[in-house]
Amino acid sequence: MNTAPLISRAANAPLAFLEKHHDCGLDGGIVSAQTFMGHVLAVANALPSCGYVINICTNRYLFTVSFCAVILRSQVNLLPPNKKILMQQFLLERYGDCYVIHDGCEVYSGVTDIDIRKQSFTQLWMKDAWPEIALNQLSAISFTSGSTGESRPNYKTWGCLVAGAAINARYMLAGGGETLYQVATVPPQHMWGLETSVLLPLFYPVCVADTKPLFPYDIQQQLLHGHGPRMLVTTPIHLRALVLSGLTFARVDLILCATSPLDNALAVAAEQLFSTEVREVYGCSEVGSMAFRRTAKESYWQRYDDIIFSQLKENDISFTFVNADHLPEPVCLQDSIVMQTDILFSLQGRVGDNINIAGKRGSLADINNLLLRFPDIIDGVVFMPESSESDAVVRLSALVVLPPAISVDNVLRYLQQQLDDAFVPRPIIKVNRLPREENGKLSRQQLQSIYRQIIAEQ
Amino acid sequence: MVQQTSAELELAELLVEALNLDGVEPESIAPDALLFGEGLGLDSIDALEIALAISQKYGVQMKAEDEVTKDAFSTLRSLSAFIERSR
Repeated sequence: MNTAPLISRAANAPLAFLEKHHDCGLDGGIVSAQTFMGHVLAVANALPSCGYVINICTNRYLFTVSFCAVILRSQVNLLPPNKKILMQQFLLERYGDCYVIHDGCEVYSGVTDIDIRKQSFTQLWMKDAWPEIALNQLSAISFTSGSTGESRPNYKTWGCLVAGAAINARYMLAGGGETLYQVATVPPQHMWGLETSVLLPLFYPVCVADTKPLFPYDIQQQLLHGHGPRMLVTTPIHLRALVLSGLTFARVDLILCATSPLDNALAVAAEQLFSTEVREVYGCSEVGSMAFRRTAKESYWQRYDDIIFSQLKENDISFTFVNADHLPEPVCLQDSIVMQTDILFSLQGRVGDNINIAGKRGSLADINNLLLRFPDIIDGVVFMPESSESDAVVRLSALVVLPPAISVDNVLRYLQQQLDDAFVPRPIIKVNRLPREENGKLSRQQLQSIYRQIIAEQ
Repeated sequence: MVQQTSAELELAELLVEALNLDGVEPESIAPDALLFGEGLGLDSIDALEIALAISQKYGVQMKAEDEVTKDAFSTLRSLSAFIERSR
């Protein structure tokens, strides 16, 4: 049987940095690979027998420990796009044989839960070799955000994760072999965070901070904890806040940015602020990372050597399929890709009704169906307004026709309960009627124009 | 409704502008209503936008790691008080 080790670092190699002491017996500071494996073993021994585990630990180190413990027990990590009760309920109904592992958050009442902070972390890893995991062992199922709970599962075998990490290491790490201290602003459950901040440190010289800093000040402080070369894994949203914060930062050797398109001017400003290269990475949950560009200087993306694109044209829409040795089958991309050369390409928007807000992917059709299921609604539509500023986060908006007694707040509450926050339309505007054409269709131009008019009147 | 102070109104105007809360009148944000979750329904992207707007206007840096900031973000009143204390 083909296997690969659960980690492949030297026993004393620094794998993680814990910002502070945790009451469960974890001291702050550097954690070596050997200490980490002791923690993994301790948690693995405490896990119940089950098929699937909803892993919603927030702390990056506790997530990584539980992620590996679950794999060591031949169970499958379920990695939801958010921690909402409804999402937990959806996964429980879908997978049945599962429990939740967390580090202190609200848990759906109908499910067994393990609070990892209550485990004992005293065990030591005494063996000479790291444990081996079968390459074909299903290790994680990541979910595309799926705006309405119709999240699509992406199956990740251990072999797929290990091979993906090897490719990423070639394009995301400088080489040289010196340990990089990594600060990441993205959640470990999201594929971008999983690849960079969870998987890289298991196999390559990366020591990852256990926090997920949000504000520029917090990111500034987290970066100061590293003493060698540093890397920052982030998104355009965080990068924009850093650039506009007016703060100065410790020297960073590489910034990796992904999840939504990075503006060229922002990339230039970030390169100046950090005196470093900003490498934008292109990927999706199904494949993982597959291409990069230095956005400040390059407009075309360069695909990884190991990633092969093939294109198919149907009814004037061009679909791009991705294949790679580590993927079980070709994946159809939701982005429209135009090849410039064999390895360089440009992105030309999304195919169909797919939307991407802050790295979360949703279907406009799904969100519209959800809106129209609101009991009192007479008519309504959710749409993406044209953005006026290229760097601001653009939110969905909704126009709704409601009975006089029902307010938009009722609609807002209803949507908030079911949707990931990023997809909740804002503003929701009450109108007398929608500009429907005779055939019932709503044209995009009509919507944009009525929307502009309403906003201007306010 | 509880009356806004002039500092709270100024902050409410900043929030509405920073977050493009087009349908919301600054005067209508109750000083003691929750900004996140149930109230205005803001999320972490908004928190980042608010922090940015506050640092640019008042020169105050928000810090998530510290409990004081967490409390500060709960309502317009607490956020305004936090800025006053930190300036």
